[in-house]
Amino acid sequence: MNELLSQDKSIYLQLSEMIETDIIRGILLEEERVPSTNELAKLYTINPATAAKGVNLLVDEGILYKKRGIGMFVSEGAKAQIIEKRKSVFYGNYVRNLLEEAKSLGISRGELVAMIDGEQ
Amino acid sequence: MSELVCKNISKAYKKKKVLHGIDLTIEQGKIYGLIGRNGAGKTTLLSVMTAQNPATGGEVILDGMPVWENQQALEHLCFSRELNTLSILGPNSVKVKEYLMMARMYYPNWDREMEKRLVERFDLNVKKRISKLSKGMLSMVTIIVALASKADITILDEPVAGLDVVARTDFYQLLMEEHVNSGRTFIISTHIIEEAANVFEEVIFLKDGMILLKENTQELLERAVHVSGLAGEVDAACEGLTIHHVENIGRSKGVTVLLSAGQQLHPGHDVTVQPVSLQNLFVALCGREA
Repeated sequence: MNELLSQDKSIYLQLSEMIETDIIRGILLEEERVPSTNELAKLYTINPATAAKGVNLLVDEGILYKKRGIGMFVSEGAKAQIIEKRKSVFYGNYVRNLLEEAKSLGISRGELVAMIDGEQ
Repeated sequence: MSELVCKNISKAYKKKKVLHGIDLTIEQGKIYGLIGRNGAGKTTLLSVMTAQNPATGGEVILDGMPVWENQQALEHLCFSRELNTLSILGPNSVKVKEYLMMARMYYPNWDREMEKRLVERFDLNVKKRISKLSKGMLSMVTIIVALASKADITILDEPVAGLDVVARTDFYQLLMEEHVNSGRTFIISTHIIEEAANVFEEVIFLKDGMILLKENTQELLERAVHVSGLAGEVDAACEGLTIHHVENIGRSKGVTVLLSAGQQLHPGHDVTVQPVSLQNLFVALCGREA
C-alpha cells in the first residue's frame, strides 16, 4: 500500500497491480478486508471513480470479493491465482522485450543463455 | 439531484467575445478539472455559471431552474473567486476574519467547525488584512470559503496559485476527503495540471472561449499516445489517424495521436510508443502550432 503512483500507465491498473503485489508479498492476506474505494481515494488522492475501476478489475477476476455492506475481501486462493496470471504474461512482458533488446544490440542467443546461467 | 447545465452560453465584454456557444453539463458528485490557457475564458465561464456575471446569450439551469437572480438556486452554488490584495470588496480594510464572517452569512450551510479547522491547518492569521496577505495566503482564504461553504456545487478558480508544494498536496487531500465524505460536486480550474490529473474524474479543455473536449480523465489518457522514431516509420504507423503537435528533429519525428474508439496504430513499424501525461496532451491540443 506504500508504492508510489507514476504517470507511466493508467492509475487504476497501477492500483490493481499494487493490491496484487501486496497479496503476493503477504501484506494483504486471504479472507482479509482490503481498503474501500473511498479509503484508497483518500490514501492516494485519486478520484474514487478511478479507485473503484481498479478494485472492480480484481473483483471481476475473482481475486477480491464483495461482502454486501461490509466491504471488499481477498478471495481464498487469490495468491496462487495472481502468480498463475503473472506467469502467463511473463513471456510477453519480459522475455520478448529481453529478446528484442538483445537482438538490437547484437547479443547472440548463446551469449544470452550464458548470462542467464551465470546469474545465481 | 443537482445538475448544472449551460445551454448555448455566450458572453461578450463590449465588442470582445469571450465565450462562444458553450454547452456543458455538470453532473452531481464528480470532480471536474477546467483547464485552459490564460485568456481562454475560464473565469468568465465560471462566473456566468454561478450568476455572478450575466450571460450575453444562453441560459444556466440548475435542476430545471434558471440560476440568474434565483436565490433558491444560488444557495446550492459556491464560486470561491481568486482574491487579490486590491479586491473590490472595498476591503483594503477588511480582515480575514471579517471576510470569513461575510461568507458565513452568505452561505446557508456554512460549516463553522471546518472553517476553524482549516484556519488552524493552514496556520492563517485571521487578524491580518486581506490587503496584507501573500499570494499563497489569499489562496488559503479562497480554499477555506469553498470547503466550508458546504455548497452542493463548489467552484474553485486557481485555488493552488501561489501555494507551495506541501500546501498544494494538503489542499488536494482535503478536497478528496470532503468529496468522499459528502459527495459534493467540485469544479477546479488550475494551471498546475499534472499534480491534479488523478483527482479529476473528468477534464474540460477550454480553448478560445469554446469547449475543446470534456471527457473522463482516465479514458482520455488511454486513447492518447506519443509516437516517435524515423519520420517515415512514424508516418506509416500513424497513417489516417488524428495527429497533433508534430515535432521534427532531423530524420526524427514525434507526434501526439488521439485515437478514436476502435482505432489503433498500424503495427509492424519500428517506432517508440509512450503514454502521454494530461499536461503534455493539453500542450499538444492547445499549444502553439509548430
